[in-house]
Amino acid sequence: MALGLTLIFSILDIINFAHGEFYMLGGFVTYYAFAVFGVNYFLTLVLAVLVVGGAGVLAERVVFRHLRGKTLNAFIVSLGLLWVLQASAQLSFGVLDKSVPSAVSGIVRVFGLVISRERLVVIVTASALITALYLFLKFARTGQAMRAVAQDPDAAALQGVNIEAVSALGFGVGCALAGAAGALLAPVFAVSPTMGALPVVKAFIIIIVGGMGSLPGAVLGGLLLGAVEGIGTLFMTSAAVNMLGFLVVIAILLVRPRGLLGVA
Amino acid sequence: MSRRPGLSPALGFGLLAAAGVAVPVLTRDSYYLDVATTLLMNLVLTLSLRLEMSTGQLNMAHISFMGVGAYASALLVTRAGWSFWGSLAVAPLVAALVAVPVGRIALRVSGPYYFLITFAFLEVLRLFFNNFFVDYLGGPSGLVEIPRPHPLPLSGGAIGFAGKLPQYWLMYALFLLAAAVLIRLEYSRFGLVASAIRQRDLLAETLGVDIIRYKLGVFVLGSFFAGLVGVFFAHSHQVLHSSDFGLEPMVLLVVFTVIGGAQSVWGPVVGTLVLAVTSELLRELHHYEILVYGAVLMVVMLVCPEGLVSLPGRIAHALTRRRDAKAAAVGARVAP
Amino acid sequence: MTPRRSLAILIVLAFAVAGPGPAPAAEKTLTIGLLGPLSGGAASYGVELQRGAEMRTDEINKAGGLKVGGDVYKIKLVAYDHKAQAAEAATATNKLVFQDKVKYIIGNAVGATCNAAQTITEPNKVMFSFVCWGTANLAPEKPYSFRSMLSQWELAEPFYRWVKENHPKVKRVAVISPNDTSGKDTNTAVVKALKGLAFEVTADEYYERGTKDFYPVLTKLLAQKPDMIDVAAAPAGEAGLILKQAMELGFKGAKGWTAGTNPFTIIGVAGREAAEGVWSPANINVKSEHVNSAVRKFGEAYEKRYGEVPGVIAVANFAAFDVFTQAMQRAGSVETDRVLEVLTKERFETVWGPLVIGGKETYGIDRQFLYPLVISEVREGKIVDITQVLPAALKKK
Repeated sequence: MALGLTLIFSILDIINFAHGEFYMLGGFVTYYAFAVFGVNYFLTLVLAVLVVGGAGVLAERVVFRHLRGKTLNAFIVSLGLLWVLQASAQLSFGVLDKSVPSAVSGIVRVFGLVISRERLVVIVTASALITALYLFLKFARTGQAMRAVAQDPDAAALQGVNIEAVSALGFGVGCALAGAAGALLAPVFAVSPTMGALPVVKAFIIIIVGGMGSLPGAVLGGLLLGAVEGIGTLFMTSAAVNMLGFLVVIAILLVRPRGLLGVA
Repeated sequence: MSRRPGLSPALGFGLLAAAGVAVPVLTRDSYYLDVATTLLMNLVLTLSLRLEMSTGQLNMAHISFMGVGAYASALLVTRAGWSFWGSLAVAPLVAALVAVPVGRIALRVSGPYYFLITFAFLEVLRLFFNNFFVDYLGGPSGLVEIPRPHPLPLSGGAIGFAGKLPQYWLMYALFLLAAAVLIRLEYSRFGLVASAIRQRDLLAETLGVDIIRYKLGVFVLGSFFAGLVGVFFAHSHQVLHSSDFGLEPMVLLVVFTVIGGAQSVWGPVVGTLVLAVTSELLRELHHYEILVYGAVLMVVMLVCPEGLVSLPGRIAHALTRRRDAKAAAVGARVAP
Repeated sequence: MTPRRSLAILIVLAFAVAGPGPAPAAEKTLTIGLLGPLSGGAASYGVELQRGAEMRTDEINKAGGLKVGGDVYKIKLVAYDHKAQAAEAATATNKLVFQDKVKYIIGNAVGATCNAAQTITEPNKVMFSFVCWGTANLAPEKPYSFRSMLSQWELAEPFYRWVKENHPKVKRVAVISPNDTSGKDTNTAVVKALKGLAFEVTADEYYERGTKDFYPVLTKLLAQKPDMIDVAAAPAGEAGLILKQAMELGFKGAKGWTAGTNPFTIIGVAGREAAEGVWSPANINVKSEHVNSAVRKFGEAYEKRYGEVPGVIAVANFAAFDVFTQAMQRAGSVETDRVLEVLTKERFETVWGPLVIGGKETYGIDRQFLYPLVISEVREGKIVDITQVLPAALKKK
């Protein structure tokens, strides 16, 4: 989730508030394919990635392409997109939470920690995705092109990088990651038209903390936020913990204005 | 650019003032008066937000200072027994005072980081209103039973503020005050410096502008006006809830401003007017309301990225080009 | 911007502001307002309110209208979305009261919005019925406000009295709710009931609405080793997640849901295993064999029309429309003051069964709908009604 947002932000300079809605879309693809039509769970996962990634590419081509470099406008448009997607989802999927049965059940104990198998699958798949993305950006030609665009679009264009294609692909991959997150978490949580609202706020915190535009930073930020919340909950009320999360953000930005691993 | 040859500040201000007087002449219906009052509140908020944006940065915590003003005033009146009028003078200053340290911290970063750090402040303050000092701030239930503005004693009696009409006039007076200051600033040296900062920090600095102090001044002034609106809000709504100062209403302010056009001081005016009317008309659509609203935003941003204020200029431009037989320019840019 | 342009905009605005008022109706129409969060995170409440209202309105209109005194009224339902925000609720209420000129607003949810709406309904003598759970929403100085659903104050005491009598092993109870008005008020009432009945309260916990991952808060909760978890005011989706994750963390005790709203969703979300054994005094199972035929019929028609099973809020607002329209008929008038008199004095037959309006002991004024509550338990993925209990106040009437 945060990874996708980082990717989109770094490549396109877009603060995409509708990112949570792509996550929601991934959840609903899973709900319909897996829970309603009984497609294999892992096939569903692939399907969710493709569908949501496709939707992302579509959004970039139709809408965000025209707004490159205009961060504020893109922000407003992403907000419009958020409302449109959320309202459409509510109208077509209904308002009640839908549950997706677990593909795997039971719990395992790792070093005395209790964790459900379901969550283990999520953790493993998510780690695999993160690794794959990292390798892709580091070594694949297209991945390198993406990083080039992120650093300096003009220079990249001069080197013969097709900015149009790379931007669309970057947005698509970013959304696909959100879709994957939605599909992975659908059985753990439940799916509803507004499920994207809270994760997108968390994802923003994570990227700020980790350093905007830095993928390892996003991973580190995610772990840190998880740790702060987990430990904080033991001593404080949930409201105070939420506040703590934001205070950490402010503190980190002051010490390292570009985030923990951000580049100046 | 801040200087637009089309509309002189005095004329624009006069038109706004006249329109404000026209509303109660045209209708005494409480609903329309309420909509108009809300509109004036939003205008002050967007105008002051635009002031801050004119230095090139988007303050996502703007509405929090409205909250600070609102809660401060509610407490001053209900707990400390102040009169509304005393509070009206002091509570906005409280908002401005709180803005000083917040601004100092937030302004140490810039660009998107500023957007995000102010967003973090927005959430911190909202959570504070919602969860801390519940006995004083009302907590998640909201702060209730805030009295209406007290009658204003005058030589020949007193003006009461129980009804919608006097409340409208009160807000109108506050609006005129705020608009006069904000529009005047835009067309002063202040406005010029702001746009210089927006275009290039470094250049402005070499020209001898102390940027941070300048930005902080703008931040505090903007927060003062937000606090002023907050005071009125607290006593006209009589109920305060943390959700009134959260992300959703803040985002709406940004939308109003950007859709209108953040480049010009008239942008937020146009955006607020058009979108407020649009959203009242869309209210009949129920579930489709938010859908249509979202679509409208997307289309406006794609068709005229500079905001609605730029529309007349663009149309004129396009017409001229068409006359020159260089047609199709509009079509190509309009079609997504 | 040119002066002409700004003038044009102002003229347009002036027209919009002066715009068309309500058109005079040829036949007699009674407009009834409804508020609710129709979009956003709390949308399911608003939508259920609206659907319940629609069901009753359509029934009346299909039958030719509502006969009150010598007149026949068609009912027109006007619903506005307040997006769960207090300020929006005030604007929407203004529109209902001053533009649509409604004298009845039947249906609203989300605590803070009720406070905001009441600042307008009360001074304008508009009848306002809601399912908000804020204790202060009913008060002697708010004579036009009604709560159409049993709240925690009516539910918690009889529920835990039943737990104490039937499950004596339960001694330590942890209570968890969302961090907002209804959550705080519910926990307060539940904790008060628990202490009154000599239970031990191990946790009085809150989470932010929209939370999906409850591991951190549950870890803390379970460390106190409660015998029972009450997901008090949590909505179905979140309540289901809490129970599911509690089971994953090894919790095997009793489960309660004092303010449950939609039993089918909780089973769906939590899964059969985790939802097994959940007790709830607030649920209504429209598919149960124990409910009267009126609810069952309502449930079937509702599911056919909307494709979702109605929860307690839909039933409550359906019943509220029923009660108010019945009261109008008995009063022979749609005048609010005359209807008010009937409402507080008489007994009504509704989908809930017998219903009276009381609550003076708790709120200082009789404005709370009281009807029999059914305690249910989830058994093997089905909701089984165990027993019917009358709220203390209903017994007296």
